Amino acid sequence: MLPVQKIAALGALIGLFLAGAVAAADSPPPPDMAVKNEAAQKALAKDAVCTTCHNESWRVPVLSIYQTRHGNRADPKAPNCQSCHGDSAGHQKDPAGVHPDVVFAVNSKNISSPDDRNGACLGCHKTGLRMHWAGSEHQSRDVSCSNCHTVHIPNDPVLAKATQPEVCYACHKTQRAQTHRISTHPILAGKMACSDCHNPHGSTGPKLLVKNSVNETCYTCHAEKRGPFLWEHGPVVDDCSNCHTPHGSTNAPLLKARVPWLCQECHSGDHGAAINSGANLPNGNVTTINGTQPLANQSPRTQMNARACLNCHVLVHGSNHPAGAKFQR
Amino acid sequence: MKTKNGSFAVRASVVAVQSALVALAAMSPAQAAEGDDAARRLTQPTNVIEVGAGYVSDDSAKFGEYNGLSNKGIYGIFNFDIRGGGDYGSGDATRWRATGTDLGLETRDIHLEYGQQGKFRIDVNYDELRRERSDTFQTPYLGAGSNLLTLPSNWLKPFVPQVSGSAINFRSLSPTTGLAPSNVGGVVTPPTPAQQATVNNIIATDVPAFQNVDLSTKRKALDAGISYNIGPRWEFKASAKHEKKDGLKPMGAVTSQVSEYATIMPDLIDQTHDQYNASLTYTGESSFFQVAYYGSVFHNDVSSMTWQDVNDPTKTATLSSAPSNSFHQILLTGGYNFSPTTKLVLNGSYGRNTQDDQFVTAGQNAQFPLGLPVSSLDGKVVTTAFSAKLTAKPVKDLNVAAAYKYDNRDNQTPVNTYFFQDANEARAAAASPFNAALGLPANTLGSNINIYANRPYSKKINQFNADADYAVAKGQRIQGGYEYQEIERKCDGSWINCADAPKTRENTLRAEWRANVVENLSGRLAYAYSERRVNYDENAFLALVPMANVVPAGGATVSAYQYLQQTGLTGFGPVAGFPSAPLTGNAAIFSPNNNILPQALYGSRNNINEEVGMRRFNMADRNRNKVRGSVNWDASDRLSLQGGLDYNKDDYDNSVYGLKNAETWALNLEGTYVINADFTAQAFYTYEDIQSQSAGISYAANSNTAFVGQAGNTIVSGGCFATVLAKNSNAKIDPCSNWSTDMRDKVDTFGAGFKYRNLMGGRLEIAGDLVYTHARTDIGVAGGSYANNPFALAAPAPALAPGVPAVIFIPAANTPTATTKTIELRLGGQYAIDKASALRVLYWYQHLKSNDYVYDGMQFGTLTNIIPTNEQPFNYNVHVVGVTYIYSWR
Repeated sequence: MLPVQKIAALGALIGLFLAGAVAAADSPPPPDMAVKNEAAQKALAKDAVCTTCHNESWRVPVLSIYQTRHGNRADPKAPNCQSCHGDSAGHQKDPAGVHPDVVFAVNSKNISSPDDRNGACLGCHKTGLRMHWAGSEHQSRDVSCSNCHTVHIPNDPVLAKATQPEVCYACHKTQRAQTHRISTHPILAGKMACSDCHNPHGSTGPKLLVKNSVNETCYTCHAEKRGPFLWEHGPVVDDCSNCHTPHGSTNAPLLKARVPWLCQECHSGDHGAAINSGANLPNGNVTTINGTQPLANQSPRTQMNARACLNCHVLVHGSNHPAGAKFQR
Repeated sequence: MKTKNGSFAVRASVVAVQSALVALAAMSPAQAAEGDDAARRLTQPTNVIEVGAGYVSDDSAKFGEYNGLSNKGIYGIFNFDIRGGGDYGSGDATRWRATGTDLGLETRDIHLEYGQQGKFRIDVNYDELRRERSDTFQTPYLGAGSNLLTLPSNWLKPFVPQVSGSAINFRSLSPTTGLAPSNVGGVVTPPTPAQQATVNNIIATDVPAFQNVDLSTKRKALDAGISYNIGPRWEFKASAKHEKKDGLKPMGAVTSQVSEYATIMPDLIDQTHDQYNASLTYTGESSFFQVAYYGSVFHNDVSSMTWQDVNDPTKTATLSSAPSNSFHQILLTGGYNFSPTTKLVLNGSYGRNTQDDQFVTAGQNAQFPLGLPVSSLDGKVVTTAFSAKLTAKPVKDLNVAAAYKYDNRDNQTPVNTYFFQDANEARAAAASPFNAALGLPANTLGSNINIYANRPYSKKINQFNADADYAVAKGQRIQGGYEYQEIERKCDGSWINCADAPKTRENTLRAEWRANVVENLSGRLAYAYSERRVNYDENAFLALVPMANVVPAGGATVSAYQYLQQTGLTGFGPVAGFPSAPLTGNAAIFSPNNNILPQALYGSRNNINEEVGMRRFNMADRNRNKVRGSVNWDASDRLSLQGGLDYNKDDYDNSVYGLKNAETWALNLEGTYVINADFTAQAFYTYEDIQSQSAGISYAANSNTAFVGQAGNTIVSGGCFATVLAKNSNAKIDPCSNWSTDMRDKVDTFGAGFKYRNLMGGRLEIAGDLVYTHARTDIGVAGGSYANNPFALAAPAPALAPGVPAVIFIPAANTPTATTKTIELRLGGQYAIDKASALRVLYWYQHLKSNDYVYDGMQFGTLTNIIPTNEQPFNYNVHVVGVTYIYSWR
């Protein structure tokens, strides 16, 4: 299907979607809706304890929360203001003098402890992605839910691929610089976010990875490397990060070191033993014998230039060919 | 993450490049109008449609690597974000949303969701990603886009007749190297007219055959999911994702092992990957439980790649593409709160990964003289994992945690022995010493047969962690931790241990201090020390060659393995020079002239032993030091500064060869300045320094050859020995054959950005972002190697004049620095025409200049044995401008 046709098809689907929604809005409410409406109004009335003062004129636009799931008053599980900020009886009596029970604002002198702030969220959000929160790297370093999540605005930046990395870069600045290198994952283009590989809320894997191990995480996009292969390459099945560095590298493709020297960190047999020198590379140092370039190990070695070892040993992640033990088939 | 000064700072580049809905998320509302209108603006979702066009100034695959903007010209911009459902205060919990991003590009994304909040939600997502790989790749092969690559019917084998009349030589494709003089019998001789005509004919016929093939791959994924609440405590979720990836990637492959020449070709990619998730979760007051399933089915529609031999197009070679495979996993997780502060979380999983594609057997030159033991692998890996974590607060201000983790990758793939010749290599005339032992007629197998058994690697991890965190004073916490990790590696079914380190043990101690001592100053300092110790087995390579356990014919009384055990040697043999007296018996057979174990005596075409003292770094003794420090300082209400330093050092002190040490450090500085409520600016700088050092020895075989070419050519210039005889006699232990490398990446990254809103009476907002990166890669190489004087030839060539060296030691040279500089500038502005409409303008400039020697070997006339592809290092200057109209409503 041509792209234009695809867009047209999707447009039609969206059109049907919208038509359905409009039709639903126009039809008269069913009898039990009156009951639900009343329940929603009751929930709103509870909010009014706070929104009487913290209204549309408040210096911080807190009412935007009604655009989000937290503000959906038809959902009996959705919180009201006091579910997260506490009953705050003292603040109600003396708004200027006493702060609410739970204060989330990072620039407030009265900001609550991480445990108190987290308790407000974990009361509802204790499972799902947060099953392994207790004792996790972020929790044990007092990173709190509200350090990364913003609930009072229509769209929480950390929940969208395009804007999530900036939230993480507030602390993980080295990774920000790495995403600008010549070999990277599509993070800058907004097609991949940190949460595609990491679960910042805690996980069973190393480095807060989404799966039990580095390899299992990588295989969610790179399943062609999973095998098992007839001829396995030891460091590959051991840990992808033996050779690769996923956030960005100067050595394509996302390698920690350049080939062939990367391979020579483990291989010293056969022609893996030979020295790989930069002699006689164009723009490099020139070594000759009597003016003739020696066609020996240093002029330059075939195994050092272009794709180096990978010119021949291409199936370096493993081969399933019966004659592929040397990763050439 | 939010900083203390003002609201969340969204990077301007995102505002500029991505859709307006992101900009709206970050913008604070314009000056509040009174009453209901303002309340409505805050509480009602905004629907946005953005339509416009952009223009890209230049073609560049690297610029458009992931963003869909690789082609010069105009592109459509179409984004939308539309929401609906019940009003927030009504009893209607229905909510739906449709978003579309970059619909005019091949990086488009569409997301639809519909649900009754609290009851169910359905999500559907369609996503595309085109990855551009190269727009300068050239190949003479026809059939790119299929798995059979053919050469043009008039293809001539490239060779340089004045160098060799038969050996393939790609230097003939360039007149500079193809028509260069050569060394004929010790005399530099220009090519004869006939030889020149041959080369010119090759150039005229073959070079025009090289055509550009754009290499790129595209992923298209469709994802659908449902979540359903069954009562207040149960939630069921299920999702399925189908992704198709197709396109072309560059791939090298050796066509012939004999003459070791490689072809770089466009590898066909045509794969699908289906992933399934399902889970049922129970959330109680003080407990939770989840049972989940994950399934991943990968299917490769390409089973093999076949290409014609550039040396002889009547022949083809075939390699196997990645096999289809699947992985299914069940996970159980449960948690229980013994008290509000004491929690236990347990997790267990069981997964099966299988692969059973039929083996690709198309080969060259009677590659499998005995056929195959099985027709497919029947590969199976079972992964079981278990983890338990207990966290508690035994006394005030003290948090403790203890955790145990078990992860077992149990590779249950059957082990079989495969008999194969190397690519395009005929069997050697000499017979294999194992014909009789294998019950075969004498001379069935040649001495260059590979008799290899597969090694299904298994890995088991046991890990224990204990951590404690204590508030020593107000605003100050110290944390200490200990980790013990034990890894066992093996191959079930192998005749001998296959793991270089069957067991590794690592102890780690951690300490950290975090402080917020003064209100506007906080800092953190952490240190960790790890010590890993292993029992290394330098003969683990023998697991690949079961014939090492069989006595070979030809006079030996023991097998290769028995010989190594009796002598305490490794496959490298004695660390010694040419023996002063002739060796006898098994020593003469298994380490002739004190050299390495001859490969035919364990059934291998190549030497697969490592040097004595080589350690594979992932299984080597290691000491690791890690330091992390950071400081956050709110210098004033307007200015906040952050600094951080990360340092890692790995030492492999017990590795004589291989990776010796790796050291990285990174410095991060950042500042945010709030000029006023509408104007913020920020800048950052990161320096990263990544260094690693490794060592090796380019040993040769001991011999007692005293000259090169003819007697009299005996002088060695440089190196560690003065004569050819001395050098050859000590070839295995020549100190001058030791080499080392010092690899260093240094990268500076500098960024600055600003956002200025409420200009022109609150209608205009502008933002800008600039990032500059400068990366340098240097490989320092110390050592050298010997090269024969090309004029030291056998008679009738003249002998070298007295005093002229026959062998010259060439000191190693560092590689030229590989550099990359990038500039990324993004500017954007949004002007509100009225309450419903806005105009957005974006400008994006990106520059990349790189200079990398690896591309030198891809040019015509550089390498003898690798076909050129003419790929160029990435360099571009691209401007992008865009104008869009944004319509929004509630």
